[in-house]
Amino acid sequence: MSEWLSQSSLDAIAAERSKYPPEQARSALLAALRIAQEEHGYLPEPLIEHVAAILGVPAIQAFEVATFYTMYDLQPVGRHQFCVCGSVSCFLNGSDEILAHLQERLGIGIGETTADGLFTIKEVECLGACKDAPMMQLGDRYIEDLTPQKLDDLIAQLRKEAEQ
Amino acid sequence: MPRIEIDGQEIEVAAGTTLMEAAEQLGIYIPFFCYHPKLSVAANCRMCLVDVEKQAKPLPACATPASDGMKVSTRSKRAKMAQQGVLEFLLINHPLDCPICDQGGECPLQDITMGYANPHSLYTEEKRVVEDKDIGPLIATEMTRCIQCTRCVRFGTEIGGISELGATGRGEKMAIGTYVAKAVRSELSGNMIDLCPVGALTSKPFRYKARSWELKHSQSLCPHCSTGCNTDVQSLGREVLRVKPRVNEAVNEEWLCDKGRFAYAGLQAADRVQTPLLRINGSLQPVSWADGLEAAATALQKTIGRAGPDAVAGLISPAASNEELYLFQALLRGLGVRAIEHRLRQTDFRADPAMPLYPALNMSLEQLETERNIILCHAYPREQQPLTNHRLRKAALAGAQIWALDSTQREFNFPLRQIRAAAGADLAVYEELLALLRDGTPASNPALGDLADAVRAADKPLFLLGSSLLQQPRAAELLAVIAEIAQQTAARVSWLAEAANSAGAWLLGCVPGRKPGGVQVEDAPRVWEEKKAFLLYGVEPEADAMDAPGVRAALDAADAVISISSFLGAAESYADIVLPLASWAESSGSFFNNEGRLQQYRAAVRPAGESRPGWKILRVLADHLELAGLDFDDLEALQDTWQKQLGDFPLDVPGFRVMPEIAARHQEDAGGLQLLGDWRIYQQDPLVRRAQPLAQEPVCRLHPDTVAELGIGGAAVELLASNGAQVQIPFVLDAGIPHGAVWLDLGHPETQALGGVGTALRVQMPSIRV
Ligand code: SF4
Ligand code: SF4
Ligand code: FES
Ligand code: FES
Repeated sequence: MSEWLSQSSLDAIAAERSKYPPEQARSALLAALRIAQEEHGYLPEPLIEHVAAILGVPAIQAFEVATFYTMYDLQPVGRHQFCVCGSVSCFLNGSDEILAHLQERLGIGIGETTADGLFTIKEVECLGACKDAPMMQLGDRYIEDLTPQKLDDLIAQLRKEAEQ
Repeated sequence: MPRIEIDGQEIEVAAGTTLMEAAEQLGIYIPFFCYHPKLSVAANCRMCLVDVEKQAKPLPACATPASDGMKVSTRSKRAKMAQQGVLEFLLINHPLDCPICDQGGECPLQDITMGYANPHSLYTEEKRVVEDKDIGPLIATEMTRCIQCTRCVRFGTEIGGISELGATGRGEKMAIGTYVAKAVRSELSGNMIDLCPVGALTSKPFRYKARSWELKHSQSLCPHCSTGCNTDVQSLGREVLRVKPRVNEAVNEEWLCDKGRFAYAGLQAADRVQTPLLRINGSLQPVSWADGLEAAATALQKTIGRAGPDAVAGLISPAASNEELYLFQALLRGLGVRAIEHRLRQTDFRADPAMPLYPALNMSLEQLETERNIILCHAYPREQQPLTNHRLRKAALAGAQIWALDSTQREFNFPLRQIRAAAGADLAVYEELLALLRDGTPASNPALGDLADAVRAADKPLFLLGSSLLQQPRAAELLAVIAEIAQQTAARVSWLAEAANSAGAWLLGCVPGRKPGGVQVEDAPRVWEEKKAFLLYGVEPEADAMDAPGVRAALDAADAVISISSFLGAAESYADIVLPLASWAESSGSFFNNEGRLQQYRAAVRPAGESRPGWKILRVLADHLELAGLDFDDLEALQDTWQKQLGDFPLDVPGFRVMPEIAARHQEDAGGLQLLGDWRIYQQDPLVRRAQPLAQEPVCRLHPDTVAELGIGGAAVELLASNGAQVQIPFVLDAGIPHGAVWLDLGHPETQALGGVGTALRVQMPSIRV
């Protein structure tokens, strides 16, 4: 156990670390940050520094990784995170309108979370589902061919689930 | 060996050569930003795109290995289109800052744009703006100008040895910075300013001071350590505005450390001496040169007449030029004075007869990179000889086994094994190593056992003796043991010379007992307390001497103190005569570096105020003293004379001459904690400690167990020495410091009052003052 992570997380990080040669601790960063985020919900700065220290890599290298991949959350997020792709195919198919609609419906901006802690909007890079653009990721699901109507239904459904 | 053709010219190159390197060999210029011969290839700027026959797309020359039969064009239509396209993209987000950018006039982006860009851009949208970062007092950032070439990032990881800058974010949001705002700490950080191809990283002390084309360039040398880096001192009018490296692959390659780059800021210190000063009715008053020199000559003559020449001592800085060192000792020896010294940080001189001709590396800096087994003895070159350290780092990365023996753990920037002595037990570590090597007794410390095995297995390992070794209270005994270890194991012994011209000080006789050329003469009594007159040259004993309180008391008690110096400092209270000395940037001369390499430097600006170059001061002083043979008309005549006296000498010298019998010095246990410490990098000489941008507050370091035992809380402690000195100072917890010791940053007048390494200190919570 450390001040940030449980023994099982530390063990999981150690297991990832052991997959790489001694001088390539940096390679284990992706997995270690994911494990830390799974336990803690998001990655505050001190936790990123902590993960770097566990692996013995300079902190800046952990920050580089954590800020590059949109799958890492640097701020606390809501229960449901709408990760809307803003890359070129989705953009050409109207991801801007999707984002605008979401913001208006939820009353928050990109990167923000609703007061009830239910929803967060995030703009992410291409998720490889360009043929069904515009699209977004919600948890571990892809939701494709987005329309405002589809989003409204989804939001209503998730709100209902939360009330139960 | 692939044969290729670039722009119609054929060349055969070694396998693995890139197109960029092949073009360089042919003298064909390919524009580039991210490529740098001393850094790994990132190939991210795309400026070097070239047209290669039978390839679908242009290829980056910096990352494309030459393969047989390639036909490359750097000026074809396709190559030009690629170059124009890349520049158009790079300029999309680049601000139109040139008129207010310090890089203007020496900017690859400006130059390459002029040479290769299409003057019209299709881009009409908004440009991005990147938040600036505060990365400390040395480097100004303007990150909107950054083109993300990552040279600075690669420099940190690959050359500096500490990764501090990185590229965070992605795509359009990618930005270079430290992420969590903090100052970069690498002692080589200033090189990133030179590497940055745009005005994103510029020199903070130089900011908005001048345009690059207005500056006068002068070939100079760095006066701050024994590496002897070649510098270009750039000035405007009478002011030095910046110092940059001159390329010399054999010495500094193309780097400078931050000490060498920024110490010039100290030239403008408020206590620069502008005129000769004479103590009249208790206070120092400006006088003419004639009066100042006459007073100095009279004071020396009077003391010698009354108390004999052994009542006079001369202390000179090891950063003085060969010419100054030679004249200094010639003048004093002409008066019969024997106590001539440049080693203010040393207190134990019993091993002097065994000292080599000069503190020699015994190899070139380039050869140092190829050493396989190195044992650093009380050496911390990262702060003491930063660019020699860079060579050691290269050796380590190439697989050398490096060990360090010291009183403390240091923050090396390369892999090595460190063995730390218990508080005050430095000698015991070397003695145990000797015993292990001689008798094979089992080691009390397993690391020492490993070291003994490594030394035994190595073919002629290299013992590299550092600047901190001679500072030990029982230095002579340490040296005697090291000499014996070397004999036992057929090891080689080399020295990391401390200062810019420590080598010259030895070679030219600024040590008691040795004349120029190392000729042995009768040694001199060195009891400072018995001296009646001091001639100080470029030194501040209150900050430069290990036994600062002792030397200071002697200065206070002396009848006459003559200080030839650029800075007044505490001489205000103890000097009777002050003669203003031109700084290194204001005079010409030569240094011997650690390799024994003789290098020349030229004056860059006129001396401040009425100060004069040192060799001229000494020459005229000799004249006032009616000493014959020292009236040199020019520097060349003076150089000829010292060179004749020194004669030819071998660059490689035995690590030791014959070691005298050295008895164990009984160390009394005075109780309290042992004072350990060293001069930090920016505290090591009078100029650098006055450079504001480099200023560091002194701290003391304590082992967490020591702090727990003493029951100390808060952030500061009070240190008390038996001489009555009492200093309040912030402390840092550091498990690398031996238990029972206090590590102190030396060289700050406020800490020097406590005494030197080996003093016993009491440590307590600061008394509350109202
Ligand atoms: S700051 Fe300069 S050196 Fe660093 S990435 Fe940007 S342009 Fe390159
Ligand atoms: S390494 Fe030494 S000589 Fe070189 S710049 Fe630094 S202080 Fe000067
Ligand atoms: S561009 Fe959106 S999934 Fe590829
Ligand atoms: S110089 Fe080749 S890609 Fe930058």
